Amino acid sequence: MPLIAIAYLIFLAAPVLLLALGSFGENWSNTLLPNGMTGRWYAEVASDPSFRRAFVTSLQVVGTTCALNLLIGLPLAYAIQAGARGGVRIAARLVTLMPVAVPELVLAFGFILVFSSDALPWLGSFWLLAAGHLVLTLPYTVTALVADMEQLRLDEYEHAAATLGASFAARLRDVTLPLLGTSLMSAMLTVAALSIGEFQLSNLVSGFLSRTYPVVLLQAFYGATGFACAATIVLLSLAILASLASSLTARFAGSSKAEPVA
Amino acid sequence: MTLRYENVSFTYPGASSGVFDISLEIGRGELLAIIGASGSGKSTILKLLAGFVKPDRGRILIEGAEVSALPPEARRLGVVFQSYALFPHMRLWENVAYPLKVRGVKKEARRAQAVEMLRRVGMDMRADDLPAALSGGQQQRVALARALVFEPRGLLLDEPLSALDAGLRVEMRDEILRVQRSAGIATLLVTHDQEEALSIADKVAVMREGRLIQLGTPRELYETPVNASVASFVGQSNLWPGKIAGAGLVETAIGPLACETHGRSPGESVIVFVRPERVEPVDAAGMAEGPGSFSGQAAADRYLGPIRRIDLMVAGGLIRLETHQREPVTAVSIPRDAVRLLPAD
Repeated sequence: MPLIAIAYLIFLAAPVLLLALGSFGENWSNTLLPNGMTGRWYAEVASDPSFRRAFVTSLQVVGTTCALNLLIGLPLAYAIQAGARGGVRIAARLVTLMPVAVPELVLAFGFILVFSSDALPWLGSFWLLAAGHLVLTLPYTVTALVADMEQLRLDEYEHAAATLGASFAARLRDVTLPLLGTSLMSAMLTVAALSIGEFQLSNLVSGFLSRTYPVVLLQAFYGATGFACAATIVLLSLAILASLASSLTARFAGSSKAEPVA
Repeated sequence: MTLRYENVSFTYPGASSGVFDISLEIGRGELLAIIGASGSGKSTILKLLAGFVKPDRGRILIEGAEVSALPPEARRLGVVFQSYALFPHMRLWENVAYPLKVRGVKKEARRAQAVEMLRRVGMDMRADDLPAALSGGQQQRVALARALVFEPRGLLLDEPLSALDAGLRVEMRDEILRVQRSAGIATLLVTHDQEEALSIADKVAVMREGRLIQLGTPRELYETPVNASVASFVGQSNLWPGKIAGAGLVETAIGPLACETHGRSPGESVIVFVRPERVEPVDAAGMAEGPGSFSGQAAADRYLGPIRRIDLMVAGGLIRLETHQREPVTAVSIPRDAVRLLPAD
């Protein structure tokens, strides 16, 4: 078993290590490892206008996607948890999980069909891109929040707060949000990690000026190897950062949940 | 300070369970316990009063004003939940002060009030702790303090002792009663534990399948249950199917018993009910012949400390009895005034 795990880790890490090596290599063609050592590829990525714009666009899309997830995901999860019973509950879960089951390509083609029409000519706009990312990431937010709400027994605390005289707004402020804080943070970082690396849908629905970083990245591979490696490492660092933060907060949310209640 | 249900009915959406035509009243300072098996609708009664569910028919009144359509936050009722539901992110004093906070009481004033309330339940030394640091019994006390600090119009207790150890349960039972009495507040206690209900309630309501089958004082319920299901739910009992044999005599599988037949006609089917402590052990040698005298072998003899609970196997069935006597029991007598007739259903 340990052997298999180690082999798998090497298989997983080797491309990343090679990318990192390549990004600092002066010249890399027809050899196993690159020759020379340079930081110029990073400088070139940083000064490339299309990469700069894409980087900023990606951050904007991530930010918008997180905000929309919060605004829509939290009430949705709350409604499912508090209101829905039996069949309605299962149906609500199915609908929110649908985008996970449907391939992103299908979703993107749907977007192209609907939003390239004269009635809804929004294909290529920033907001449509953000909406696409929202659809793809919302299931993760809702699933995580509903699970945490159930585990936290949020409905009981809500009932208790209500009997003590707290209005809906007061309950949200004093009970729901403080109890769900770490859950929300963890869900948002997961969303960020997913959104940063999203390629399939972005590639099909983004416009020339709203291309995200992964979309522009594809073109880097038609140029110098070192440049492509450096550009990829930038994306990878962002994604790893978000994933790490997400798993750390998820762990924290888990440990605060594990406290004995009774 | 009265809480009232008037012909209240409620059915859970998409289910046939609920409560049907419930009328109850809890006076000022009175403690009404609702008992019943799980699924009998007793928790629904509490949810209706708390405002978590709204009645389909009938009215719920607090101090004479109808509240059926009001949300929980507008009813001003203190509720102690089975799991206590203390807010895990708030210190004890913040938990107790929360109802004051939402009513706009200033921080210093509400802290002082909360600590005073914690003192009344013996928890003021822990005011700055978080709930997770407390034992079940301590959480219970804090939950009680939180439910009473805002001078509610009624106190609702949902299985408040079920999560506690047996020893602590009796202690907390007395504690709840003491606090409830000193607050002089109308209280509804929902429990599946009939002993708990009998020991602290002024009145007890027995629920079965969503219906209220008997409402009375603990003594009435124990001595004069309206039917066999109340008799078997409240305390231990002997219940034998029987037929009226004549005036003052009923025939059962174990033999004839003398009793007050209240003008029932011969041949009528009844359930014969006798509490085990009313069955008297007698000396087998000097046993009188005739109705109400039986002899047999002990099929089970349980030593419970102050008493023994014996199942005496006699010709035709089993007689359960409880006795202080330490000697073996082989013959018993069931006195005429110990026998009650319940409707056969």
